[in-house]
Amino acid sequence: MGVLEFTIGIFLAYISVIVLIVGSIYKFLTWIKVPVPLKVPLTPGPTTYTGVVARLATDAFLFRPLLKGAKKLWLGGWIFHVLLLTTIIAHIINILFHDLWSVIGYTWYDIIGYTGIIFAGALAFLIVRRIVMPNLRYISHLSDYLILLLLISIVLLGDYVRFYSGVDVKQVSAFIYSLIYLKPIEPPSNIYFLLHMFLVELLMIYIPFSKVMHFIGIFLNPVKNQRNDARMRRKVNPWDFPVEIMSWEEYYNKFKDELEMIERGG
Amino acid sequence: MKLDFSRPGEKFRLHASKKSDMELMKLPFPREWSRDDFKLPENWKEIALKKFDEVLKKYRSVRLYMDLCVHCGACSDKCPFFLATNDPYNMPVGRQDLMRAVYRKYYTREGKLLGEKAGARDFDEEMVKLWYTYFYQCSECRRCAVFCPYGIDTAEITMAAREVLVAIGLSPRSTTESIAKCEYIGNHMGIPPAALADACRFMEEEIKEETGVEVKIPINKKGAEILFVPPSADFFGGPHWGTFKGYVKLFHQIGLDYTISTYASEGGNFGLFLNYEHMKKINAKIYKEAKRLGVKWILGGECGHMWRVIHDFMGTINGPADFLEEPVSPITGTKFKNAVYTKMVHICEFTADLIKHNKLKIDPSRNDQYVVTYHDSCNPTRAMGLIDEPRYILKSVCRNYVELDPSVNRERTICCTAGAGLLADETLELRLKAIKPKMEAIKRTGANFLAMICAIDKASFDTYVRHYKLPIKVGGVHELVGNAIVL
Repeated sequence: MGVLEFTIGIFLAYISVIVLIVGSIYKFLTWIKVPVPLKVPLTPGPTTYTGVVARLATDAFLFRPLLKGAKKLWLGGWIFHVLLLTTIIAHIINILFHDLWSVIGYTWYDIIGYTGIIFAGALAFLIVRRIVMPNLRYISHLSDYLILLLLISIVLLGDYVRFYSGVDVKQVSAFIYSLIYLKPIEPPSNIYFLLHMFLVELLMIYIPFSKVMHFIGIFLNPVKNQRNDARMRRKVNPWDFPVEIMSWEEYYNKFKDELEMIERGG
Repeated sequence: MKLDFSRPGEKFRLHASKKSDMELMKLPFPREWSRDDFKLPENWKEIALKKFDEVLKKYRSVRLYMDLCVHCGACSDKCPFFLATNDPYNMPVGRQDLMRAVYRKYYTREGKLLGEKAGARDFDEEMVKLWYTYFYQCSECRRCAVFCPYGIDTAEITMAAREVLVAIGLSPRSTTESIAKCEYIGNHMGIPPAALADACRFMEEEIKEETGVEVKIPINKKGAEILFVPPSADFFGGPHWGTFKGYVKLFHQIGLDYTISTYASEGGNFGLFLNYEHMKKINAKIYKEAKRLGVKWILGGECGHMWRVIHDFMGTINGPADFLEEPVSPITGTKFKNAVYTKMVHICEFTADLIKHNKLKIDPSRNDQYVVTYHDSCNPTRAMGLIDEPRYILKSVCRNYVELDPSVNRERTICCTAGAGLLADETLELRLKAIKPKMEAIKRTGANFLAMICAIDKASFDTYVRHYKLPIKVGGVHELVGNAIVL
């Protein structure tokens, strides 16, 4: 086994999975160890947990807030995210259960390949709007471009692997199974496949340290996950502190004459 | 979208707090300073970074928002102050990034290594100036949060930034002046008890002249069933006066056993615009007074930010109010289940319930001279979800009601742009520009009465309609209720 095959195919494969899982959990913990002192739900703040779940689901999976004010972004962003999800699912089926199912004459390998073209298109749209629109150019940092470039490279390489490289799914499948069973065998030694895999590993390592963590963060946002019930139920602020205010007695002494006059009804 | 990099927002930086007010309020570093010369304390940076660290450990929202934003730009054209100035720091994301830049610099490896390429910036005096300018150019109206895919709430970030600014001795006069008055006289307007009683007497006389009916406004009455707390502006005149009249007529008609209080004569809470401590202080008087007077529950008047505090925070910061009873309308018997914990009910909830049960003698034709439209105030709308109650009342008390364009209505409302400490002369030019989309929508309806349920709205829109030369009367929902009530 070559150095490249070992490093990318085996060493980084395990490292990236570990970093992704441990890093995501670590990030999650840094967020939830900070208290939520107050109720801050935003309209439409549901008063029941069922309502909260419905709200989070529609906001997270349908991107409803974007539909209210940024329709083009909604379309591009939603297609991108849906294809990200379907691509991951299709990869799992293709690699782990490739000989089980096919969809109306297309293999899962085909499906990933063809949807990948739309996927790359959506990503290109997201890159172009960052460059073309002045407000986006202003707010975009290096990392905002890099993550999109990384994603589009992964997708394009993936499509190359599917359509031109001649890499056999059965070979990939055997290799991935060997990783899962912790008895790694040699990966397909195709440079495009290895590069594709390498960039995915980079992405997995980068995710916990990046804005991609929004896929967890959105569910923790008190503005969205709280019930609008602050007048109905007690909410305790763990760091609340007592304050001193002017008492009625102090106030009375300050405005004695005036208050006595009011008491007399005059 | 055009961006103007000359920092047009800087022109509208708020004036500095007065030394005397800072001393009175026991704020850190009371001194003579100005909006152009901060005269920061020597160790300001150390204090600021310490406070920033504290804030990150106190508010999950803020901590989360430092990492969550993907810079998608959906919010960028949603802030009225950006639309008015094209100032990139007034894009919600631009404003948030002022805090994120400091976070990246001191809390992320990427920021420490890459600096500005990673959007990180040193917390230097220049940055403090930007913070003071632009975190006091946010009205905490939360419109941007409606459009943000993750619901990142700039108001949370603005409030946190202001906590840091207060700690190094920076606060605007527009806010501290009112807080000082409230904490040491009893209300933001600085109305002493005798003047407040005079205002009530004027109101009694005015209603008698108008209707021939003798009404009495109880003040500091022990043992009343309900304590009524409006924003103090309602006692003061101007476009608020009609709202006050509406409350009084309404309470008289239903024979409500209520009292107002001079000690708790402020429902509003400018403390919200400064920091947690002063928000809690100002709000604390309401429960204290309810306890002293021995009332059963509390009714609150028409005010926006007042209800942000009462609806969202009061129970947490000053509850529980076990000495009060769960609110029940003495007229209809309706239990206000939505307020069983805090025991404080919004006047629109109360009135809508009365109308629903047909307990009011009203003649909507008395408002026939008006075509009425409704301005959704930011806080009641986006914090409470109090959207349909005022509309239900309006449609019951007047016969010509029109809605504003959906793009600036209901949860998408453009706020009065004067909230959160921005109601100051030095921001007038900014606010007149920021309110333009709303004014155009109002104009298009052809309405001649703009109804609202917020004291700051009333004060600011009264100015706006004059500047825009629109023949529109500005007033409260309860002004129209008062007009329609047959005594």
